[in-house]
Amino acid sequence: MVEPKAPDTTVATCPWVDGVTTSRFPHGSIRVAIAGKGGSGKTTIAGTLARVLAQQGRRVLAVDADTNPNLSTTLGVPADRAIRIASLPRSLMEKQTQPDGSVKQVFTADPMAVVDQYGVDAPDGVRLLVMGAVGHGGAG
Amino acid sequence: MCGAHATVRGLLGELVARSALDDRDLIVDMEAGLEHLSRGTGRHVSRFIAVLEPYYRSMETVRRIVDLARDLGVGDVRVVTNKIRNDADRDVIRTYCDTHQLAVIGEIPWDPSLVDAERAGRPPVDAAPDSMAVRAIRALAIGLS
Repeated sequence: MVEPKAPDTTVATCPWVDGVTTSRFPHGSIRVAIAGKGGSGKTTIAGTLARVLAQQGRRVLAVDADTNPNLSTTLGVPADRAIRIASLPRSLMEKQTQPDGSVKQVFTADPMAVVDQYGVDAPDGVRLLVMGAVGHGGAG
Repeated sequence: MCGAHATVRGLLGELVARSALDDRDLIVDMEAGLEHLSRGTGRHVSRFIAVLEPYYRSMETVRRIVDLARDLGVGDVRVVTNKIRNDADRDVIRTYCDTHQLAVIGEIPWDPSLVDAERAGRPPVDAAPDSMAVRAIRALAIGLS
C-alpha cells in the first residue's frame, strides 16, 4: 500500500490555498515529528495537522511526546476525558542484557495493542497517545 | 524521567519496525527542548519539522534542532514558519534560512482567531476552520503528502 517516495528536494513556501483536494493524497503515509521552542505553536500545528489530515479521510495516530502534554486540547478531546488519559507506563520497557554485556531497555509489548489500550479517541477519528508528564510526583 | 522518553521512543520504534501503522499517518508533538532529539526519538519518523518564529532566539533554537536532527541522520528536516505578520518577518526568516540552508515548507500567519481559540481552550480547526492559519496548515498537509 505504501509506496516508497523519492525524497522531495523541492524547497517552497506554502501558498495560501482554498480548500484541499483529496486527490493529492493517493498513497504513502505521513510520518512526521514536530519540534520547536515552547510557545512556538508546535502543539497547535501538530494538533491541527492531525485533524485536517483526518478530515481528509486519513487514519491518524497523534503522539504527545511533550513532557508538558497538551496536544489533547488542540485536538479537541473534551477536558473531562483528557484528564483521565493514561500515560504510557514505563513498565512497557524491559531491561535486556545485550551480547556485549551491556544492559538495554527494550520495548517488548505489541505496539498496536498498546495503541489500542492507551490511546484515546479525538474528533475526526484521530487516535491520541500521551507519553505523560514528567517531574510531578514520580510520574513519567 | 528518561523512562518516559525511552518508552515513547521504544513504542515508535516498534510501530515503525513492525510496519504496524499500516497506512496511518503519525504526527509526533515533540518536547519543547532538545532532550528527545539527543536521545533519538526523531529517528522513527521520515520527516522532521522545526517550527520557527520570526525572532532571533527562535531561529537560533531551530538551527540547533536542525543541526542535531541532521547529525542523528533524520533524513528530511524542514522548517515551518509560524506567527508571520508581514514581509519584514518573511525577510528575516528568508535571510536566516538561506544562510543556514534551512528548507522552509510552510508559512503560517499570525492569526488572532487562533489566539481566541487558544484562550477558549478550543481546537483551532473547530473554532476557526476557515482562518488563515488553519488554511495554511491544510496547505502544509498537502505539502507533506
